[in-house]
Amino acid sequence: MIQEKDIYNTGYSIPVPRRNGKSRTEEVPFGSNCARLSLADWLIVAIILSAVVYFAPMLWERAEKFVPSSDYRIPYDLSSDYWLYERYCRFACSRYETLIIGDSVVWGHFVPMDNTLSHHLNDLAGTEQFANLGADGTHPAALEGLLRYYGRDISNKNVILHLNPLWMTSPRHDLQTEKEHHFNHPKLVPQFTPKIPCYKASFPTRISNVVDRCVPFFNFSSHLNITCFQSMDVPAWTIEHPYENPLGSITFRLPTSDDYERPKDAARPGRGPGQTSLQWVELETSLQWLFFRRSVNFLRQRNNRVFVLVGPFNEHMLDGDILDTYRNLKIQIEVWLQRNNLPYYMPEVLPAHLYVDTSHPLGEGYAAIAKQLFENAAFRSNILSSGSSGND
Amino acid sequence: MLFHTWAFALFFLIVYPLYLALKRTRFGLPWLLIVSYFFYACFNPLYLILIAYSTILDYTVVAVMEKKGRRKIWLSISIVNNLCLLSFFKYAGFITDNLNALLSSLNVPYVLPAPGIFLPVGLSFYIFQSMSYTIDYYRGNIEGERSLIRYATFVSLFPRLLAGPIERAKSLLPQLHKKPTVSIQDVSDGLSLFIVGLFKKVALADYLALYVDKIYSTPDQFQSPALMLATFLFCWQIYFDFSGYTDMARGIARMMGFRLMLNFNNPYLATSLGDFWSRWHISLSSWFKDYVYIPLGGNRKGKFNTYRNMFLTMVISGLWHGAAWTFIIWGAVHALGRFCTREMEATSLYKEKVPRILKQLFVFIFVTFAWIFFRAESIGDAWIIITRIFTSGFAEPHCPALALVLIFAVWLYQFAYESKIRWFLEQRVVRIGIIILMVLYLALCAPSSEQPFIYLQF
Repeated sequence: MIQEKDIYNTGYSIPVPRRNGKSRTEEVPFGSNCARLSLADWLIVAIILSAVVYFAPMLWERAEKFVPSSDYRIPYDLSSDYWLYERYCRFACSRYETLIIGDSVVWGHFVPMDNTLSHHLNDLAGTEQFANLGADGTHPAALEGLLRYYGRDISNKNVILHLNPLWMTSPRHDLQTEKEHHFNHPKLVPQFTPKIPCYKASFPTRISNVVDRCVPFFNFSSHLNITCFQSMDVPAWTIEHPYENPLGSITFRLPTSDDYERPKDAARPGRGPGQTSLQWVELETSLQWLFFRRSVNFLRQRNNRVFVLVGPFNEHMLDGDILDTYRNLKIQIEVWLQRNNLPYYMPEVLPAHLYVDTSHPLGEGYAAIAKQLFENAAFRSNILSSGSSGND
Repeated sequence: MLFHTWAFALFFLIVYPLYLALKRTRFGLPWLLIVSYFFYACFNPLYLILIAYSTILDYTVVAVMEKKGRRKIWLSISIVNNLCLLSFFKYAGFITDNLNALLSSLNVPYVLPAPGIFLPVGLSFYIFQSMSYTIDYYRGNIEGERSLIRYATFVSLFPRLLAGPIERAKSLLPQLHKKPTVSIQDVSDGLSLFIVGLFKKVALADYLALYVDKIYSTPDQFQSPALMLATFLFCWQIYFDFSGYTDMARGIARMMGFRLMLNFNNPYLATSLGDFWSRWHISLSSWFKDYVYIPLGGNRKGKFNTYRNMFLTMVISGLWHGAAWTFIIWGAVHALGRFCTREMEATSLYKEKVPRILKQLFVFIFVTFAWIFFRAESIGDAWIIITRIFTSGFAEPHCPALALVLIFAVWLYQFAYESKIRWFLEQRVVRIGIIILMVLYLALCAPSSEQPFIYLQF
């Protein structure tokens, strides 16, 4: 090994043979800077960096206040902040008996946070028993990744897992089209297997996504970008705010829903029968159904008591063959749930005016579903009886 | 598969342990060749045909020269073949465009079809490397390589395949001849070089590109301050981009027991334009000096011929960078700069009386001005930028202050490196601190988008 004092000599000699048989030596300079470390130096660097990587997120958690209310849901604009989702999972698991997990229907895309399914369930229960772990903008494939990689703390809990049939209404929703189309949360879906036909990311991007999942510090870094720099990386943020000090943006305050504009498409009136043409995919070939089943399996493997909520779905928009296909699909889902001993509930069809679109109810719709759930025997025996309290 | 991607990290993590295990066996060299070809095929498998063809031809040419003599003819075959390859893949579009413009100006109603050929990544670099082998053999500077596998590895060695450094056979082939030894210090050095290069590329070059691209894409919409700052930032962007690539290439090679040449040596601290070219893209500058400038006569046949040779070399160097008039003008501007300053720089007044910092500033301003031609999309754009710099009014440039702070920090570091306080930078705690800061900055503040290296297009 080269001694410390030798490091700043010009470098190494390499023999340069010539045709006449003689050889001379030429120096190859190390570099044009002094940042040259020895093995011992690298060990020191590794120790310091490991400490930073391990402790920085922990210290940050202490500094950044996060006391969510019982109606809390992760704001839509923070839905790509998987570090925050993980943190919220940890918090919810320590505080609530039952976690409601699903897409924008569970999250309550068209209603305020005090009019969601979890809110109405808590109302009926009379205690803060249910936590809204819905993630707006997700779909079963992404949700599976979210739970697998960032929901590791969800164990030994009651879990209401929502299945939205919307994701099987077309090959496009089901991610089955061969033509590339961009969907939400591509970082969460399997990068290599099972293959998702419409996902055409390059190999380096896929590898990069896998690394992001495996190194929590990168998610922490992403959390800083999302919460402090308006979901931009620091360089892009400084282009938008050229004269501002990036350090000044670090406030240790988590943005809330109030910090963002409400979705503009709130409260659209429900549509009438036959106004939607859907190309239901076969259940046995459906990718989203596959991912839903995978979510169920590993949630159960983590000793959770899983209760499946299928729907709600706005059947008023369906008629003829499309409605028949949907009902047939529901039967197949039901058969699978029964065969796997999974307690479930399929909400009764709500009045048309309580739907915003194909699958999202209005606040009253959520209240009605919560009521139906409380009257459902499977729900009462599996969720309420195993909870710390209930109103029965 | 670029060095600053996780895909490359995965590739290297698989390749490297096997390489370490095989390097002193007879499978070491074939393994190196296989992984180098695989690395290249990741960009496009068809590229392998081209590199294999060029390799086999030059290897055969030297073998035939060795056996049968008639060296001049065989050397000519090699050079013509290599230049034809370059012309076809790199300049076909440029030549067609210019011929069409000529036909149009002569009112000839005929348009040549566009060739639609894509330039294979790294072609200019390995063609030059291969050419240097045949020329050096012809000149008697090296012996012919007997092993085709070794020669093919010399041409395709993956750390330097995409954008150099353009290694000479006399430097790299001997390293491939002996069984490589990889010491712990080699690994440490390689890592040090790689991290510094990664920081230059990802944290600095890609960051500066955000501002530069914005301004240079529509230069007519910006005023003088923005255009000046964008040019200033591009000056550093291209340095960080290319020297970052080279540092990474040298780092990877060093971890494998190979020493690649220094390609950049703090060029913006140069005190003359000649000094600048001895610090910037050293492997290319020295290639042109040895294989173009000196064969043209160098500085041996009077002043006129010296300047003519210099001019031709610089213009050809510009053309090497890209098939566009902007690159030719860039080369010509540098040549003119050398004409105007060469005599002045030789005077004792300039050497002894002008403060070093003033000389550095002058060279920096000149080089920065010349980069306008290099970066502009067209001559028209370059002209717009230059005229607007001098004629348009003032408007807020909205240039990120952080970018300027980072550039100043790097400049200060380099300045200190070449000054009496270099000892301070050599302190262990300072070196360790610098590496830690760079890694943390990369982890927390690096741009999320991965941009290719600028020099890959050449």
